[in-house]
Amino acid sequence: MKDIFTIIIRLTVSCILAATVMGSAFIVTNKAKKHNEHVNEQKVRYALLGYSADKPIPDSMALHEVYRYIVSDKQSQYIGYLLSGKEGFIFLTLDLSGKVIDNKSVEVDEAKVLEKEERDKVVNGIVGAGKDAKFADQTIIVTNNGERIAYLLDGKFTGFKTFIGVMLATDPKFTLLGLEILEHEEDPGLGAEIEQDYFRNQFKGKTFEQLKDLDVVKEPLPDEYFQALEGDIAAEDAAKILKKYGDKDIYALTGATISSRSVNNGVKSIVKKFAYRLNILDTALAEQKIEVAF
Amino acid sequence: MANDKSSMQLIARGILSENPIFKLALSMCPAVGISTTVINGVMLGIAVLFVQVFSSVTISLFKNKIHPRIRIPTYTLTIATWVTVIDLALAAYLPEAYAKMGIFVKLIVAFAIITMRLEMFACKESAQDSFWDGLGMGLGFLVGMVVIGLVRELLGSGAILGYDVLGFKPLLFFILPSAGFFVVGLMMAFFNWIELAYKQAKGKK
Repeated sequence: MKDIFTIIIRLTVSCILAATVMGSAFIVTNKAKKHNEHVNEQKVRYALLGYSADKPIPDSMALHEVYRYIVSDKQSQYIGYLLSGKEGFIFLTLDLSGKVIDNKSVEVDEAKVLEKEERDKVVNGIVGAGKDAKFADQTIIVTNNGERIAYLLDGKFTGFKTFIGVMLATDPKFTLLGLEILEHEEDPGLGAEIEQDYFRNQFKGKTFEQLKDLDVVKEPLPDEYFQALEGDIAAEDAAKILKKYGDKDIYALTGATISSRSVNNGVKSIVKKFAYRLNILDTALAEQKIEVAF
Repeated sequence: MANDKSSMQLIARGILSENPIFKLALSMCPAVGISTTVINGVMLGIAVLFVQVFSSVTISLFKNKIHPRIRIPTYTLTIATWVTVIDLALAAYLPEAYAKMGIFVKLIVAFAIITMRLEMFACKESAQDSFWDGLGMGLGFLVGMVVIGLVRELLGSGAILGYDVLGFKPLLFFILPSAGFFVVGLMMAFFNWIELAYKQAKGKK
């Protein structure tokens, strides 16, 4: 009996000690980790737009974040958008048919908006009591001298095993500029090949019309196409080959048809939904004559 | 049982006569699974080295406070704590290395070699000796991983440290996990042969 008590007490004490050590390590490192994540995200965004550390983006370009929230009260659901206006942020609530319900300007620090928890608090404060706002997704509208030049879309969909998180870049006509896989847990050597250039780059340059009925074919990837996608050959030759295969469907990965299909379907649905939503949002903004930064 | 070996002897023992991979045959899974390239081996080896040293010293410091009936849970808890700390530190300060070896670091919790050294050595000896023992074992693991990685990378992908040295891939088979066993087996034989030869030479004198 006495033994049990000593064991319980000692185990508890050692657990508390361990928790303290881990907790303090977390507190010390958390800031740097968050910073790394932001830096990484930025890097992916710039890479998708064709910029890198050696080739920084010009000053005339700006990235405007648009956060979409699902606002619900007891009876119905609305869509809320947190956008950057000409000055400060705007929170726009639309009903499901696209009619503007509410339009409020929000005074909030930009740094606060970048943190998800802080942002959720702010948004829930705006929608008021009795309503609940849930973060849905975020998109980035890239402008150059005020003209829209690209959209960066975040998205998540189911893969073969768990979720696949991606970031897409499209031009204003929704032609795909690039695809980056941010996170996945597919099998190494099979589904994990979705990360590889020869798969991702197949999506590059697909127009919105092509994308609508883009399919996955179970055929071996031609050698020359593979080299062009991987960037193993001179840029001019590669461009020619890419053009030749430009209107083909996506070649499935060997042994990972399901992963290939889910990426294809995921990309398609992200772009299609975004095009639909952006149309509604733009119409609403134009009708209400709301000045936004993009 | 007091330890009568000097610090240098403890380190040498970890690397040579009781090398965790080639002599004790512990932690074979990571040795076989991850050592496809030299760099992988080095990174995992360093992470194991840190966890081993920290855990050995911690257990040695608290050895009188650990109830004998719950020593294994306590070891696991200690290892898990240090693994978490190293995991967080890597994610924060070395994000690029972490992206490559992140999942391996978490696996260290289950490495047999660390628990085994805590059980065999650290829970009986002083903190100072445990430090040297942990260092020796960690280095032994590191050396083992590097040697296996070297053989497998050279034979499997014709390269060393990512630089193409042979210009062709002699045996693709060597980068597959099963080949890890062959390499480990051959290395074990090699280490035993050296030891035998050494003993014979000593005997002749």
